[in-house]
Amino acid sequence: MKALIGWINDRIGLPSAVDRQLGRTLQGGASWRYVLPGTLLFAFLVEVITGLVLWAFYCPSSQSAWESVYWFQEVVQAGWLVRGIHFFAGHAMVVLAGLYVAQLVLTGMYRAPREFVFWAAVSMLLILLGLLITGDLLRWDQEGYWATRVRVGFLTLLPKIGADAFKLVLGGSDIGHLTLTRFVVLHVGILSVVFASLLCWHNRMLARVGLAGHAEQVSNGNPSSSYWPGQALRNLLAALALSAVVGLLCTQNYWRGPHPGQRPGEYLGAALGAPADPVDSFAAARPEWAFRPLYQLTALFKSSSIGNTGLSWQVVPIFGITSGLVLLVFLMPFVGKLSVGHVFNVALLVAIVAGAAGLGAASLWNDRRDAKFQAAATLGEETALRARELVRPPLETPALVGTQSAAPAATASLASVPQGIPVDGALALMHNDPKIAGRALFQQHCASCHNHSDAQGRGIVSEKPSAPNLYGFGSRPWLAGLLDPQKIVGPDYYGNTALRKGEMPGFVKDTLGKLEGDEKKQLEMAVAALSAETGLSSQKELDAKESARIGDGKKLIVGDYGCTDCHRYGGKGQLGNGPDLSGWGSREWLVGIIGNPAHARFYGKKNDRMPAYAEFPAEPDKNVLSAAAIGILADWLRGDWYEPAESRQ
Amino acid sequence: MAEIQNPKSEIQTPERRGFCTKVIALLVAIGVYVPAAVAGVLALLSPLRQAGQAGRSMRLATLDGLPEDGTPRKFAVVADHRDAWTHYPKQPVGAVFLRRTGEKQVQALQVICPHAGCFVVHDPEKKGFFCPCHSASFDLDGKRNGSDCPSPRDMDTLEVELRGREVWVNYQKFRTGIPGKVAEA
Repeated sequence: MKALIGWINDRIGLPSAVDRQLGRTLQGGASWRYVLPGTLLFAFLVEVITGLVLWAFYCPSSQSAWESVYWFQEVVQAGWLVRGIHFFAGHAMVVLAGLYVAQLVLTGMYRAPREFVFWAAVSMLLILLGLLITGDLLRWDQEGYWATRVRVGFLTLLPKIGADAFKLVLGGSDIGHLTLTRFVVLHVGILSVVFASLLCWHNRMLARVGLAGHAEQVSNGNPSSSYWPGQALRNLLAALALSAVVGLLCTQNYWRGPHPGQRPGEYLGAALGAPADPVDSFAAARPEWAFRPLYQLTALFKSSSIGNTGLSWQVVPIFGITSGLVLLVFLMPFVGKLSVGHVFNVALLVAIVAGAAGLGAASLWNDRRDAKFQAAATLGEETALRARELVRPPLETPALVGTQSAAPAATASLASVPQGIPVDGALALMHNDPKIAGRALFQQHCASCHNHSDAQGRGIVSEKPSAPNLYGFGSRPWLAGLLDPQKIVGPDYYGNTALRKGEMPGFVKDTLGKLEGDEKKQLEMAVAALSAETGLSSQKELDAKESARIGDGKKLIVGDYGCTDCHRYGGKGQLGNGPDLSGWGSREWLVGIIGNPAHARFYGKKNDRMPAYAEFPAEPDKNVLSAAAIGILADWLRGDWYEPAESRQ
Repeated sequence: MAEIQNPKSEIQTPERRGFCTKVIALLVAIGVYVPAAVAGVLALLSPLRQAGQAGRSMRLATLDGLPEDGTPRKFAVVADHRDAWTHYPKQPVGAVFLRRTGEKQVQALQVICPHAGCFVVHDPEKKGFFCPCHSASFDLDGKRNGSDCPSPRDMDTLEVELRGREVWVNYQKFRTGIPGKVAEA
C-alpha cells in the first residue's frame, strides 16, 4: 500500500499535498473557533452534489421549469430530500458566511497579512446572496417569479443603463424562457464556479497565514498542534451538526402532525408554490429573508425624483446604501490600520447587523399585522395546494381503454379529471380549473353585483349587492328560498333588483305563501323537481333516490301551480315572459344566461342591468368573455370541479 | 499555441527581443480568444436589439358593461404573445381598469404598478387602488395618495377611444420605477 501511494505521489504529488494540509501546524492548537471555513467547504460540497442531481432533472423553460421541479419534488424517489437539502443547506451557507465575516472583523483578523483572506470571505458572502437570488427564480413558482420581477425591475432605477440592464438580465423585455436560461447559467455556471474558486483560494491563503490571528498567538498559552486530528475532527463535528439542522428543517412538517396517505414530497423538503402566472400578480410576494432588511429600508425612501434628475430616491437605499456599506467593509483592512480604526470597524459591523435585524423584524411584524397580506398568503397556499392536486398523477391505475368492466369513476361527472400536465404546462390546467379560475372570474365579472356567500356571510361579498346571492344556486335550499314570500324580496334574491316589483314575488306571496300543511309538503316536491333540472352533482344521489317525488313535483309545476302560464316547462308554456325552466340551472342553461340574459329564453326585456357576456355568438372576438371562460364560470357556480378522492391510502 | 511559443523564445533571446516576443504572444492570444469572446458577447447582448411591443389597439368592453357610478372594472387583455421561440395565440397578457368618468367618457388605467411592476387591486373600502407588494395606494383617478406612496408616478393611463358604445384601448406597458412615463421599448 505504502509503495503504491509513494508511486502515485512521485508522479502527481497529491497525497503529500493532503499530508501537508493535514499536518500543518496550528499556532495555539486546535479550536472550535476555527470551524467556520471548514463547515462552509462541507456545505458547499453538499450543494454541489445535490445541485448536480437537481440539474439532471431540471428543464428551464416557462412551460416546464415548475413542472420539472414539481416532478422531482413529488414523484422522483427521494427528490424532496435532495431538493430540501439543497435549499436549506444553501440558506445555511449564507448564515455561516455571515458569521465568518463577523468573526474575522470582531477578532481583528482582517488586518495584515490577512487582507485577502478577509476580502475573499466578504466576496463569498456576496456571491452566496447572488446564488440565493438566482435560485429563487428557478423553481418558477408565484413567489419566486414575482419577487424576481420586482427585484430585477429595480434595475430600471439606474440612470442611463437602467433599461438596458433590465433587458439584459431578463433576456428580453419580460420574464420568460430566456430569463430562466440566463439564471441557470448564473446560478450553476458562473456564481457557483466563482464561489468554488474563491473558497479554494481562501483556504490556500489560510494555510499560508495560519488559522489563528496574531492576538491569539500571543495571548493563548496552549501548545501548538497539527491540523489533524484535533481541528479536522472539530470541523467534521461542526459539519455533522449542520447536517442535523438541515435534516430537521427538511422534515419539519413530519414532526408537526400525521400525514396519512400523502407522498413524502407533498409535505417534506423545500416549499413549492403555485406555478408562475405572468398575469396574476402574487400579492404576498416578499423577498428571501436575507433581503428583508433591504425591502424594509427601501420603504423608508420616497420614490419621487431627486431634484430634476428624473432619478427616484429609491436609488439611494437599493444601490447607494448597499454599495456604500459593501465598500466600507472592503476598506476595513485599511481603516483598521488607523488608531481607532478597529473600533470603527467593529462599530460598523454591529451597526449593520443591528440595523438589518431591526429592519427585518419590522418588516415581518408589519406583515403579521397586515390582514390583506395574511389573506393573500393564505390564498397563495391554497392555490399552491390546488396546483399540485391538479398535476398529481392519479394514484389509481387508470382503467384500460376498451375494458368493458371498467366502472365509471366517482368523479366522472365532474368538470374534468386531469390526466397529468398538458404540453402547454401546469398553468393551462390552472387557467381552466373551475375551482381557481371560476372563482377569479366571478370575482372579476360578477361580484360587483352578486354575492356568493353562505348564511354566515363567508365567501365573496359585494360592496353593494344589487343582484341575487348565487351561493348554492340551483340547489333545493336556494330554490326554496326563492319561493319563500319573505326571502324572494330580500337582499339574497330579488330585493335589490327591478324584479322585486315584477310578477314573480306577487305570485310567490299570493299563491305559494298561502299554502298550508300538506300543500307545503307538495311545494317541497316541486322544489325538488325543478332543482333536479340542474343535474347538480351534489344532488345526484338524492335525485335518483327521490325520482317518484320528483315526478309528482313536475306535475305540480305544469298543473296546480300554473308555472307554465309564464315559463316554459315540460313542453308547455311560451318563452318571453320569464326564464325557461326546462333544464333550469343546468350547465347549458347557465352558459346561456351568462352569455345573454336578455335573450327571449331568459329574462328578455325584463332583464335588469345584467350585462351580456357573450352578446355576439357569431363574432366571439367581440364578446367580453370567451365561451371557455363562461363554461368555467358555470362549472364553478355549480360546484363542478375535480376533487381528488378523499382517502388516498 | 501562444503559451507554447512564449517560454521558448524567452530562453533563446536577450531582454529586448523577449519584450517583442511577449507583445507578439499577446497579439496572437488576442487573435485566438477575441473572436469567441466577441461572438459570445454579441449573442448575450441580443435582447438589447429586440424591439419592445408597440401599443396595440383593442376592444375591451362596451359602455353598458361599465357601472355608471364610476366604479372601476378590471378587464383582461387577451392578445397574441411571444416568449422567445414560443408563440401563444390569444393569451391573457395583462389587464386594464376601466371606469366611467362621464356619460361618454372612460378612463383606462394600466393594472401594472409604476413602482415595481406588481398588479394593483381595486380597494372599494378606501375608494381607490392598492398595490400589495410595497403598499402603494392611489385614488380612483390613479393619482397617488399621500406623500409616502412608494410609486414614483401616478398610475399609467392608457388612450381610450369610443367607437359607438364600444370601448377601445391602446394597450401598452411602461417602464417601472422611474418618475417619467416611458413606454417599454
